[in-house]
Amino acid sequence: MSGQSTAAIRREGLWSKAVYKFSRDRAGLVSLAIVSIYTIVALGAWGGLWATEWADVTGGKWMPVSSEHWFGTNIIGQDIFQRALFSTRTTFEVGFVVALLATAVGALLGAVAGFFSGSWIDEIALWMMGVLDSIPFYLFVAAIAFALQDNPYAMHVAMIATFWTTVARLVRGEVIKLKSLEYVEAAHAIGVPEIVIIFRHILPNTFHILLVQGTITFVAAIKSEVILSFLGLGVKEGMSWGLMISESTMEVMAGFFNNFLAASAFLFVLVMAFNMFSDALQDALDPKKV
Amino acid sequence: MRSILVVIMAVAIGACGGEGQQATQAAASTTGLKVYRHAMDQAPSTLDPVQASNVYANHVVVNAYDTLFSYKYLARPYALKPNLAVEMPEISDDELTYTIRIKQGVRFIDDPAFPDGKGRELIAEDFIYSIKRQFDPSQLPVGTWFWIERIVGLDAWKEAGSDYSIEVEGFRALDDYTIRIQLKRPYPQLLDTLTTGYSAIVPREAVEYYGKEFASHPVGSGPFKVIEYDTAKILFERNEHYRQEPVDIWYEGYDPETQAYTGVEVIHGRSPPFIDRLEIDFIGEDAARWSSFTKGNEVQYTVLPNEQVDQVLASKNPVTFKPEYAEKYHGYDVVEFGFVFNAFNMDHAEFGYREDPVENHRNKLLRCALIKAWDWPARSESFYFGLAKIYPGIIPPAVPEFDPDMSRDSVTRDVVEARRLLKEGGWTAENLPVFIFGGAAGIKNRLFFEQARSWFKEVGYPMEKMKLKQFATFGDLSKAWRNSELMYVSKGWGLDYPDAENTLQLFYGPNKTPGSNDANYLNPEYDALYEKSSVMRSSPERTRIYREMNQMIVDDCVAHTGLSRTRIFMWHKDVIALPDRQIVGGFFLKYVDLKTEDTIVEQIN
Repeated sequence: MSGQSTAAIRREGLWSKAVYKFSRDRAGLVSLAIVSIYTIVALGAWGGLWATEWADVTGGKWMPVSSEHWFGTNIIGQDIFQRALFSTRTTFEVGFVVALLATAVGALLGAVAGFFSGSWIDEIALWMMGVLDSIPFYLFVAAIAFALQDNPYAMHVAMIATFWTTVARLVRGEVIKLKSLEYVEAAHAIGVPEIVIIFRHILPNTFHILLVQGTITFVAAIKSEVILSFLGLGVKEGMSWGLMISESTMEVMAGFFNNFLAASAFLFVLVMAFNMFSDALQDALDPKKV
Repeated sequence: MRSILVVIMAVAIGACGGEGQQATQAAASTTGLKVYRHAMDQAPSTLDPVQASNVYANHVVVNAYDTLFSYKYLARPYALKPNLAVEMPEISDDELTYTIRIKQGVRFIDDPAFPDGKGRELIAEDFIYSIKRQFDPSQLPVGTWFWIERIVGLDAWKEAGSDYSIEVEGFRALDDYTIRIQLKRPYPQLLDTLTTGYSAIVPREAVEYYGKEFASHPVGSGPFKVIEYDTAKILFERNEHYRQEPVDIWYEGYDPETQAYTGVEVIHGRSPPFIDRLEIDFIGEDAARWSSFTKGNEVQYTVLPNEQVDQVLASKNPVTFKPEYAEKYHGYDVVEFGFVFNAFNMDHAEFGYREDPVENHRNKLLRCALIKAWDWPARSESFYFGLAKIYPGIIPPAVPEFDPDMSRDSVTRDVVEARRLLKEGGWTAENLPVFIFGGAAGIKNRLFFEQARSWFKEVGYPMEKMKLKQFATFGDLSKAWRNSELMYVSKGWGLDYPDAENTLQLFYGPNKTPGSNDANYLNPEYDALYEKSSVMRSSPERTRIYREMNQMIVDDCVAHTGLSRTRIFMWHKDVIALPDRQIVGGFFLKYVDLKTEDTIVEQIN
């Protein structure tokens, strides 16, 4: 009897309920499987298990699809399939770095602003968010890329500097709500320092927001990376789907579409899967949904 | 009601017309003007002759301004002719004094820069002023190298502060219509330099009146005047005061056998310009330019984009169009007057000169190995669809001094030999230097780099030691070249005049950066030969010297060179022209005519 009640209590928790709900969401599971496959592809490329010849000229110009070149070759004879695989690594590198740091910065500043809402700290944080949000994104990236010259992380810096504001606004709102709850007042009453209240008692309770927002930022980062690389402002070294699409501008006029199709398909499937995964996660973590 | 009827009639008439004739007929029927729409892949960054350093600027400058000499419209090989000059100059026996008489009654266009807004007569002093600007640092000149250390007193005038009130001994206007140039030593290419945009004649009033804005406000005496200019297009109107000089197509070098298809016979005996308006659209994207060209009622000229080669051409050698294109368009193919090459910067210790003779030799072996690793045919096939000529050295096929029998070893890939040379030099993956390529931003330059990296990797150069440094603009890249910041210089060079001296000077020691010798190649023997040949007129002896210098460049493994692209110019069949922009940009534009309905009927009959 007591064992059953313990299990019932465990199922009532936010996370166990989320796992339960997610496991019932078919679209969510399919999207998770796709994202997992992409992750394995990225890890394999990162570990040198495959796509090791992405930079080599291994064939002739614009060779058609064959058993040797699954997606054909590009204008200088590089294998398009290998380049598409290697680009997955780039995508995940950019996505993870940007999502992780933008979410962390957003969480930190959002929590502090929310906790001290109405104070000068909140004013400054809101002013910063307002200023950054008011700058057109691609103009901002171009300015940072120019300022940082050849720095391969110029794109990352620009994205983090832009994407954290959304996270911060959401976290700020949640923290304003949480800080008026009784357990926080109790912590105040027993003399727990404010910094401990913020980071030990409030911030962990915004984690479901951070998780969902992290996946959304991940998708935004990979889409932006492709666009920026296409524009020549993104990836400096390595390969990216954006660069492949950029390459295809020299090819589609001549009737060769393999580069364009391969990069677009890889990007489309990943973005769709991540969006579906993000939706499923949001549903699973939403306590209002049954 | 009446206006609706007019619109309906206009639509009906338009529907009956041929696609290729829509532009002209539409222009003629709505405005009564002959309008020719030209296209270029880039906008000029300035219209000031003192900075007219590229083909884009020259397209505008030589049409808005006058030059003393020009090239004959149709003669190939190119031949000089007087333009603003009355005749070819009188040259002293020692070839040091040139006396040039200019035409009388030539006027600058009307402009607020002049009193009462009326353009005044162009006189010899205007030419003197215009060239002096190239020696005045305040004007930010870029064409000085044409005349530096060539004209008596001009360099000293610059050193003394470029005071225009001070007369230069060797560079004077004897009267309003006579110019006297005294040279320090013979300069056989002098007249060629006086065809270029750099030498275009500007009125001092306008330069002073507009200040910096003069760069976007041309005030010249050329066949056209600029009425609108922005980054998308430039619009010219016929200069109504342009001198009446009927064209003699036979004097211009007309060859009926090869040029009859252009229809240029109809301009014989008539005075240019033949069109009322000239519009040049700057369309950077090949796809957009091609689309505009094939649309029928937009631009009437384009260079065939590489990506369209397989769609448009029936054969590449010789170049022939597929019937559907031959029916609509004229074409003209020619090996470019210039070449592309990649030079090692000899000032950088990674690949260049070293004080220690042993290290110096090792670097030479490294350069030679990388030259053997280079695959020119693959470069040509990938990016130029095989429409290019590959040859050793820096004398391109377009000039008479080209040597077709030169050994092709330096342009023949040999991976085994490349590895052997690396081994001989003691080069290993561990001690090879980091190789930084430079290029302007853009996917093409990135692919250039990736292709070269792949070739070098094949002979043992570690991939992680080869990096690409991209510059936001071509201007930034040029600046890096001038400042000798890059260890490897990849560039194209368009000939300023049809003489190999123009490419050989690219490796002449005193021209080292910030001059045109970006490779910073220093070879006293080469320099001595250059100096010796630079005062010689075309002759077998000079050709022999040129070729000897060319061989030095190859033997010293200074550069991956060379490749000259085949240019295919295409234009609508209602345009009467030979639109060859190879030399001095668009000097042909003043001869462009359009078929009117009368001439079309005449031709059909």
